[in-house]
Amino acid sequence: MTIQRRRLLRVGLACSVLGVAGCVSTGSLGSAPKKDESDGDEDADGDGDDGDEAIGDSELILATTTSTYDTGLLEVINSEFESRYDVRVKTISKGTGASIRTARDGDADVILVHARSAEDAFLREGYGVNRRDVMYNDFVVVGPPADPAGIGDATTATGANTATGAFAAIAEAESTFVSRGDDSGTNSRELSIWEAAGIGPSGTWYREIGKGMGDTLVHADQTGAYTIADRGTFLSMADEIDLEILVQGPIEGGPALLKNSYGIILVNPGRHADVNYQAAMAYVGFLTSPAGQSIIENYTTNGSHLFYPNAISAEPNFTQYVPGDYDREESGRMTPDRVASTAASMVLGDPDGVSTQRVNPDATGVDER
Amino acid sequence: MTSAPLLFVDGGWTYLVSIIVVSMTVSVTAICLSTLFGIPVALAIGFTDFPGKRVVTAVINTGMGFPSVVVGLLVLMVLSNSGPLGSLDLAFTPEAMIASQFVLATPVLMSVSLSAIEGVNEPVRDAAYAMGGTRVDVALVVIKEARYGIVTAILAGFGRAISEVGSILIVGGNIVFSDGTSYTRTLTTAITVEARQGRYEVGLVLGVVLVALVLAVNALGSWIRSKGRGRGTP
Amino acid sequence: MTLTATGVSRVFDDTPILKDVSLTVEPGEVLTIVGPSGTGKTTLLRTLACFEPPDAGTIHWHDTDCWGASKADRLAVRRRMSMVFQEPSLFNASVRRNVTYGVRVRRQWRERARHFVRDLTGGSSTPESVRRALETVGLEDAADRNARSLSGGEAQRVAFARAVAVDPAVMFLDEPTSNLDPRNTAVIEAAIDRACDRGVGVLVATHDLHQAERVSDRVGFLFDGELVELTDPATFFDDPDDPRTARFVHGELVYAEGDDDLARAARR
Repeated sequence: MTIQRRRLLRVGLACSVLGVAGCVSTGSLGSAPKKDESDGDEDADGDGDDGDEAIGDSELILATTTSTYDTGLLEVINSEFESRYDVRVKTISKGTGASIRTARDGDADVILVHARSAEDAFLREGYGVNRRDVMYNDFVVVGPPADPAGIGDATTATGANTATGAFAAIAEAESTFVSRGDDSGTNSRELSIWEAAGIGPSGTWYREIGKGMGDTLVHADQTGAYTIADRGTFLSMADEIDLEILVQGPIEGGPALLKNSYGIILVNPGRHADVNYQAAMAYVGFLTSPAGQSIIENYTTNGSHLFYPNAISAEPNFTQYVPGDYDREESGRMTPDRVASTAASMVLGDPDGVSTQRVNPDATGVDER
Repeated sequence: MTSAPLLFVDGGWTYLVSIIVVSMTVSVTAICLSTLFGIPVALAIGFTDFPGKRVVTAVINTGMGFPSVVVGLLVLMVLSNSGPLGSLDLAFTPEAMIASQFVLATPVLMSVSLSAIEGVNEPVRDAAYAMGGTRVDVALVVIKEARYGIVTAILAGFGRAISEVGSILIVGGNIVFSDGTSYTRTLTTAITVEARQGRYEVGLVLGVVLVALVLAVNALGSWIRSKGRGRGTP
Repeated sequence: MTLTATGVSRVFDDTPILKDVSLTVEPGEVLTIVGPSGTGKTTLLRTLACFEPPDAGTIHWHDTDCWGASKADRLAVRRRMSMVFQEPSLFNASVRRNVTYGVRVRRQWRERARHFVRDLTGGSSTPESVRRALETVGLEDAADRNARSLSGGEAQRVAFARAVAVDPAVMFLDEPTSNLDPRNTAVIEAAIDRACDRGVGVLVATHDLHQAERVSDRVGFLFDGELVELTDPATFFDDPDDPRTARFVHGELVYAEGDDDLARAARR
């Protein structure tokens, strides 16, 4: 009998494995129903109440940065959003560069990032539409309490309240500095500060570790190094690390260079027809609505506010919708002057018509607001 | 509050259970597919002599050590919306993770089972054929004779699959829904989240759970193997 | 139903192993092929059993040309035959499962599935032919033992039972008792006898002349791939037609032509 039982067990095991495999393949395990199939369809009569156009019971893929994700803010926002709209939000957290790449490939529906120059490029290349400001906080320069490079000392000229000065002091003292080195928003701000200070950091004291914000803070904590972090992630990890804020950001009176603005951009359905555009619009709508903004405003961790909402303003704010250096002249629209000069260049054989040359240099990504 | 629901508080239990379920489902499915694909191919390679057989065997053995992150990148690029299979909508899904683990586990499984199959000596195969067996019958006999090695191969492949991190992080996206249930987060990728946020102790707990799971599966495999070695199937 | 080989030749690597061999295996008879080692006996058996096609000549089962027929027909012919090798080559399973193998593979897939399920629930019984086969070799009590736990002699008897359990029309035995002690050899020879009585045609390849004398209805001498003589035992051993047969019977020609090393060693 034991022989039979053994075989029965084996068959039973095989069946249950196959059954589970079947469950996964039919998608009943932990997944929402597939993206609304009709998302790519046009609303033929345009009245918007066509049953096929409903966004409920669909999925939204949000690509964001590790610094936003690790603070836990998105969980609160997303569960509120989901309960209102019956859309399942799948959040993927990577660096800004990776999030933008994901969006460019059409594997995400909307991105929430904080690197204005990268966002501008994304818009300019036509992959993103409908950008909105969402919130801001600031960066802080943190380091070991002992502060070997003396950047927190308010009495010195290169000390507190100058991001560039602090970086210069660190480079001079060759104190260990941990850089994210991962094409993230934080990283690009860090690099622009080095550039503003006129320093090209190199040497064994400057370490690029290619990791997220949390990892980087942990690494800096473990090795007693300096780094730059967004205040939100830093505060949410304050319990686990011994680093201190040595240069404040603008929220606490520090330099504007350390302001950290977050923007949300939708993936252009003209480039990827099957993105869940409607759900993404609903998400942006929620995030920038009074309800969403108040969630952001009231979100605290360890007793501190992490983000400051700035989507809603009585005054017009056009710069949030277009790339930072947007110039009507560059839009390619044929104004009367350009028609004339183009015709002239064709007649005279001048291949480099003036109208095609860029006048403004690229923005350096420093937030000038 | 940080993004990973803390274990040992409310909701923590659901979180833990959901990531275990995702881990096991993805790896078990991947290894099943590996077995269904790999064993017949190993049989075909083992039985026949063809020009380039050594090259094929070398490729399989190389596949065992293939860097998993590279596999992850390749799978993502194929499944991405901009890639050739984009219309399947599989980026950042458990199915993508299964695909990635399949690619990684199959060479291991094929290589070990190939040596087990080649260890079945020709007289036994001859006898099976002589008794009126078709090629399929002979293949079944070989599988049964090599069952010890084949179970080892499956376990080895499973081990590779379940401890996988890099590639499934890339193709799966490590997604957890806002209610704390995992979509594409496994034990291994959950550990990366904990480590990233400096919560090493929690990471270790997850690691212990993972090791316990692997031990359980290996114990099951050993049990199956010992039954096979002893009195034989009735 | 007879098995007929006509003008069969086989060549390996430009070396002829079988040269124009023709013979018939009749039902109910024991035909023994003797000859020095390496002379092609095994190849002859494998060719007759339709494992490998001859390079020239034909193999006919009744009036079906094995290699001119379809694969399915050839499989059907193969399944009228079975073989016992010098090594038992049993599967790592119980004796019963080994002996039932041939019976199992001859069933249709649906029937096999049914039996498989019945096996699991413990409801299936041993087929009659299997039980009889085990009885023939005196191992009906060993049915549940693992085949690997048997002695050499017992294992070879199980291999014989495995071949007999499928109720073959023709059985091929390739040096079946070369590795056995006299007692087990006697059991096998008695089993051969009983199989013959039931109408099975048996083709034995052996280098044991005494065995050939004991069991055969006809004896053939295969030397260097050529079937030199094929006749009844009395003629073969006492008054063979061919001088080579006489020399072999007297203990010469124990090695194949061209086996220089052995020849040199023997001469020393």
